This record gives sequence, C-alpha cells and structure tokens, in this order.
Amino acid sequence: MDNACESPTEKGGETRESDEPTAAPGGSRVTEMDGIPEETDGDGDGELKEAAAEEGELKSQDIADLTAVEREDSLLTPAAKKLKIDTKEKKEKKQKVDEDEIQKMQILVSSFSEEQLNRYEMYRRSAFPKAAIKRLIQSITGTSVSQNVVIAMSGISKVFVGEVVEEALDVCEKWGEMPPLQPKHMREAVRRLKSKGQIPNSKHKKIIFF
Amino acid sequence: MADEEDPTFEEESKEIGGGAEGGQGKRKRLFSKELRCMMYGFGDDQNPYTESMDILEDLVIEFITEMTHKAMSIGRQGRIQVEDIVFLIRKDPRKFARVKDLLTMNEELKRARKAFDEANYGS
Repeated sequence: MDNACESPTEKGGETRESDEPTAAPGGSRVTEMDGIPEETDGDGDGELKEAAAEEGELKSQDIADLTAVEREDSLLTPAAKKLKIDTKEKKEKKQKVDEDEIQKMQILVSSFSEEQLNRYEMYRRSAFPKAAIKRLIQSITGTSVSQNVVIAMSGISKVFVGEVVEEALDVCEKWGEMPPLQPKHMREAVRRLKSKGQIPNSKHKKIIFF
Repeated sequence: MADEEDPTFEEESKEIGGGAEGGQGKRKRLFSKELRCMMYGFGDDQNPYTESMDILEDLVIEFITEMTHKAMSIGRQGRIQVEDIVFLIRKDPRKFARVKDLLTMNEELKRARKAFDEANYGS
C-alpha cells in the first residue's frame, strides 16, 4: 500500500475513535455542597482546588466580601451550584480519562501483529483529498467555501465510509461469506442504514397526514 | 441468483470503463486510491472489488451533495458554513464528535504553527 494520504489527525496525536456521545453525563461525587468548600482543600484530588483557591482569596479579604459571595452562591439554586461544581469536576475527570485512554491505546497498538499494524496505519492515515472535496462542494454551492468546511466535510465523509463498510462487513459475516466485500453486501448495508436514518435522502417527500 | 449478478457486473465495467453502476456514467473516479486505503483500514480486503469501490464513491458523493444542499438551506441561505454542518450532524454522535475533534485540533495546530513562526521570526 503506497500512498501519501495524510489526515490531519495524524499530527495531533491520538484521537478517540469512540462511540461515546459527546454529552457524557458525569457522575458527581460531590453531593452536599452548600456554602464555601474550603474544607475540601485536604481532598487531595484537586477537583475543587480552583473553587477553593478562589474562596480562599476572598476569605483573606473583608468578611463582608465573603458573605457577598456567599449571598451570590445562595442566590444560585442548589441545582445551579451543583452544576457549577459538576462542570469543573467533569473537565478534570475528562482529562484523566483521556490519559487513561491514551495509555490503553498505546498498550493495544504495541501488541498488534504486522497485518493489524498495517490496517491500523491505513485506518488512521487514509483521508479524502481536500482539493477534490473542495472542488466538489464548490461545484454544488457555486460560491467559495472556507477551509474549515472542507475539513469538516472530509471528516464526516470518512466516518460515513466507515459506517457503511462496517455494516457491510456485518452483513457479509451474517450471510456466511468472506471479504472482499461484494456489491450485494454494500447494497444491503445501505438499505439497513437507511432504515436507521443514517443515510440522508431529501429526494422523497414524506406525506405526514392525509 | 447471486452468481448471476457478479459476471454481469464485470462485463459492464469492462464495457463502460468508468462507472459500472451507470449511476455516475462517464464521470472519472475521484477517490479510487484513497477509497481503497480507507476500505482496507475499515476492515475490507487489501484489494477491494472495483464495483464495491464504485458503489461507495457514489454513496460518498451523494452524501456530500445532500449535506451541502441541506447546509445551504439553513442558517445563512446560499452559503455553507461550519455551524450549519455541525447543526445537521448533531443527532449522529460519531460524526458530531469527529467534527468537534477535527476543528479543535485544527485550531491547536494553527496556534502552534503561529507561535513557532513568531519564535523563528523573533530570533
């Protein structure tokens, strides 16, 4: 396989090719948090370090100021307060999860066979040529498009190809056949994805009521 | 029934030489090299069938066309912007996460390159 298909992701290190939705609900470990969390300095986890530092600074000032913050915080409903702390926690938890995941990926990749390594390299490096995508989009819109649009479009197209190929491989396996994929697998895969709504089709006008 | 299909396809592709499906007719294949790598990366054989690649390329072009048309019809009409694409993709978790990642990394790279250039220029 000789080609120079570089994808922008290659330079940025590991990307998580996971199926998790981005809005992952973070489990809040902090339940009862009314008032200023200065006692959690000894927590050691540092999840409330920022908040504690802020409050600590204020504490060294006038007491009136402190009560102002307290008042402000008490104006926030307990739900809003929890949300503020939760988002800070979530961000730090996410960083730790990222590091964990990077380590796991490294261990996994180091244990690949040569064929697997080849395939993984193709998976990471293959990408659609930006020039061709830009030309295609511009021929549809008639106006020029920004670079970010081209980047986004080639990225989702690659994900789209991945979805179709994976579904086709599922179909192929289910029918008891072997790769390479044949057109009948591809067409069945497209049919299945269409019923799931993954394939956009604006040609058929849906009649809702009649 | 399945065996009858495949030889027909091979015949067609030899005759027309371009799109075997007839869907894209005479248009030259835009992504044959890249699609081959991509299909191998996603699990297919190292040498995928040309017909499957043709089907995939038609699918991709149709996908891009649909997205472009939809994006042009929302937000600022007649123009295509990143926000429109992100809006259209919002329901699909994989694609949404991917676009976010790509755009964030692009920003980081731009910043890093800018900082590097400034450092060079300064010295």
